[in-house]
Amino acid sequence: MLDLTKLRNTDHSIIALGSHPGILQSMMDFDYLSGKRVPDLKAIVASGKKYLRLFWGSQEEMIPVYGTLEDVPENIRNDTSLFLNLTSGRRSMSSTLEILTALPNLMGGTLFAENIPEKNTLGIYNHIKKNQFVVGPASVGLLIPGHLKLGAIGGTQAKQLLGANLFEQGKVAVFSSSGGMTNELINLVTGAGKGISFSLSFGGDRFPLLTPIDAFRAAEKDKNTEAIVYFGELGGYDEYDLVELIKAKKITKKIITYIGGTISEMFETPPQFGHAKAMAARGEETAQAKTAALKAVGVHATSSFTEFIKLVQSLPDTKMNSNNAREKMAKGMSQRKASYFINGISHDKDGSVEIVGKDLLSLATEHSYGYVVGSMLLGRQLKSKNTAEFIDLVMKLLVDHGPYVSGAVNTMISARAGKDLVSSVVSGLLTIGPRFGGAINQAAKHWLEGVDTQVSPYDYVESIAKKRGIISGIGHKKYRVDAPDPRASLILEFTKQIKQTSYTDFAKGVEKITTAKKGNLILNVDGAIAAVLLDLLSEKEGLTVRELQELIDAEFFNAFFVLSRAVGFTAHYLDQKRRDEGLFRLSPNEVGLTK
Amino acid sequence: MSRVKLTEFKAKQLLFQELGKNYKGIAVTKEGKSYRFSSSLSQLSPKKEYAVKVDQGIKGRMKKGLVALNVKKSDLQNICNLFAQKGFTRYLVEEMLPHESAQEKYISLERTRDGILVRFAAQGGIDIESNKDKVRTVVITHNAPLPVLKDLGLKAEEFEVMRELFEKNYISFMEINPLVITESGMHALDLAVEVDSTAEFFVKNGWTGQDVVAEQTKSEEEQKVKELNSKSQAALSFTLLNQDGSIWCLLSGGGASITLADEIYNLGYGQELGNYGEYSGNPNQEETYLYTTYVLQSMLKSNNKKLVLIIGGGVANFTDIRTTFKGVLQALEEYRTLLKKRNVKLYVRRGGPHQEEGLAMIEKWSRENNLYGHVSGPELPLHEIVRLAVKTLPKKK
Repeated sequence: MLDLTKLRNTDHSIIALGSHPGILQSMMDFDYLSGKRVPDLKAIVASGKKYLRLFWGSQEEMIPVYGTLEDVPENIRNDTSLFLNLTSGRRSMSSTLEILTALPNLMGGTLFAENIPEKNTLGIYNHIKKNQFVVGPASVGLLIPGHLKLGAIGGTQAKQLLGANLFEQGKVAVFSSSGGMTNELINLVTGAGKGISFSLSFGGDRFPLLTPIDAFRAAEKDKNTEAIVYFGELGGYDEYDLVELIKAKKITKKIITYIGGTISEMFETPPQFGHAKAMAARGEETAQAKTAALKAVGVHATSSFTEFIKLVQSLPDTKMNSNNAREKMAKGMSQRKASYFINGISHDKDGSVEIVGKDLLSLATEHSYGYVVGSMLLGRQLKSKNTAEFIDLVMKLLVDHGPYVSGAVNTMISARAGKDLVSSVVSGLLTIGPRFGGAINQAAKHWLEGVDTQVSPYDYVESIAKKRGIISGIGHKKYRVDAPDPRASLILEFTKQIKQTSYTDFAKGVEKITTAKKGNLILNVDGAIAAVLLDLLSEKEGLTVRELQELIDAEFFNAFFVLSRAVGFTAHYLDQKRRDEGLFRLSPNEVGLTK
Repeated sequence: MSRVKLTEFKAKQLLFQELGKNYKGIAVTKEGKSYRFSSSLSQLSPKKEYAVKVDQGIKGRMKKGLVALNVKKSDLQNICNLFAQKGFTRYLVEEMLPHESAQEKYISLERTRDGILVRFAAQGGIDIESNKDKVRTVVITHNAPLPVLKDLGLKAEEFEVMRELFEKNYISFMEINPLVITESGMHALDLAVEVDSTAEFFVKNGWTGQDVVAEQTKSEEEQKVKELNSKSQAALSFTLLNQDGSIWCLLSGGGASITLADEIYNLGYGQELGNYGEYSGNPNQEETYLYTTYVLQSMLKSNNKKLVLIIGGGVANFTDIRTTFKGVLQALEEYRTLLKKRNVKLYVRRGGPHQEEGLAMIEKWSRENNLYGHVSGPELPLHEIVRLAVKTLPKKK
């Protein structure tokens, strides 16, 4: 049921299913010009990017995009009052049924797609709850001036919205099956100085989910509406239902209507005029018969558009306020320019630098280096001291591991070849990869996967062994179960500060299985850092599994090694320069030859 | 276009498949001068008698003489030739089922908002239309138990099969008339099925677009628009009304197009209307260009001395006027010489996103080429463009 009072008294939160930037932008423009502080559109469910860049006034605004409705954060789901379904005819039914049942406070929504099979439309019809409504299919949407624009209705350009002054509440309800005629009538009515109370298009399908009669009933109930303008077409019996309602005094408001399709009488077997359902199979379905029946019960009905325009003049006037302020706002909107980059880390305003929302100077004086690094890498200020301390420790622990490792060797060779600081350090950094230093991320992937799929450490090890794979974060050249790595022990000490240590527990579980096979298959530094960091991020920083997965996908966990070891490489470079050993070269007996 | 007819051949195949039986009917298609058969005629017996029917979705075939009964195998060719002479190209050959006309019953299923509307009558056959008072109706809601079909002698399982067929294939309307029930079960002597054309994607192991009866098109342009529409996200339609008409239309939107057509009729120029049709749902430039081309081709074939082209529509919500008018202009430019030769005046009224640029382009072009009738945005009431256009035509009595 469409309840205008309820719709008017709600600050809406809208989820769009599928994306149509032009239509979504027009909704943002409508909200902005209506003077709202934030847009109603809160989320989009679609494939592709994580955000859709739209404009709020002249500023860019990122609307989050989620792959599925389930991925939408719970607070947004709970707040959502309306949906706008922009998916194709093939997907409309499943996505609509899902949203109708999944969201607790949903009032309703609109369906934009054409070509939804009748059976599917009726499948949706049977699932709409009593306190919900769905407009469509093939509908341009629902409009309440100054309050709600759900769909393309009223136009997709700010100029159109201003032209029809869709920001002032009026007294005339406008509806039609036809999206185009709905907008034409909105312009006709507002052009005559009459404001709109609300407007919608049912869509031209055979079984509109919200019927013309539903709309008439809603208009009758609506306190703001004094008169109704309706554009009907030949075909179907909706108008006779209306006649009955008027006879029963259930609809009492003034109605002005044009029923299109008189031309059809010119033909013995008329072609298809208008929409798919606009076909007069029987005499009473013709435009003439319907017009006559409506006239008989006092409706201002006509089959001539000239007459219709005259009737519009008799509608109640609305005093329209000046549009100047909005015209000015709209002018500002024309300055829109899409930015080349979106940045969430830092900005520099008049010489004062702000990093993750904090002034650089206070960041430098009040916090540890671990806090700065952790906050910047996460893109927001760390919540927990524990995380900052741990990162601080990790940054120190990974700083160097002797001159024999690949990266240090490369740096030293470059330095001895006479290269400069940056080139030498970079040659070391470029060595970091799956076999050297890049194992933390891969280890994090193992632990997350294991815990998330609730597999036992034994089964996990077996599944990898079967594929002849290796587990990153496990194994060391020198250290063994009876001669443990002191750095790993130090890292694992940190779990004392964490309540929920499922990732570390899993990693230790894996170690138990692997060390039973071979003594040096211990949990190494990489594996330990990955495990403890996962536990910290999850418990202390409140990251979800999906967010952790995204960090892994972006190689977040390797960043600490890269940053910390850059110090080590720099030290080795400077050391070689100090010694000035000359160019390094292997002697022939140091290189094996193939035949 | 959401409800379309399946060939009876396909409909029967699906019904038999659902009943777990083998359908033995043979579809005959005329291709050029020869006939193609869906299966070999050698299986037909010279001793048996057959029914041959035109299978092109035509109602009341019996009364129109498009059904031949008691046909011997040897006469088959003659019957096909006879139908071919009448211009038909698809027929269906089935073995006759001996029965009394008193045995003929009627049943139909139609999809409605409240459920499946079943109409049935113990007396069916070709006179069902005149026996309307004997037809009973019942609405079957989802999974509801089956009522009242006892009168027909139809078994519950058989009705269940029909319902299953109806749902699986996204059928909108299906009619069996006559329905004959013998000891061996139900027999659908004639079966008419309308399916939902938008459901092809959802139907598994059922019908496809190829099983839909092609609607008769009057002109090449109608056919081309139909093909264009089938490949487009937007909606494009075109019907030729009077090939020698003087008023030709390039209209947008289901509602606005009917308003404009009404105005032409109300002003007394209905007989002059060459075509009806509309494009909507934001077609791209290419699609609009092709659509316009077909309208222009059709118009230029008209033998009428006086030609006007109305490019009309309401204030669009999201159809881009600049883009669609670029397509229109591309086609106008292509036919410029012919349009000038026939002195076709353009009457334009349209609104929507980027209307200023779109209208300015078309005004400039029509003035430069001396084809300007009138160009206006929403400041001109929708129907007024028709008044302006017909003013230039010879007066009607």
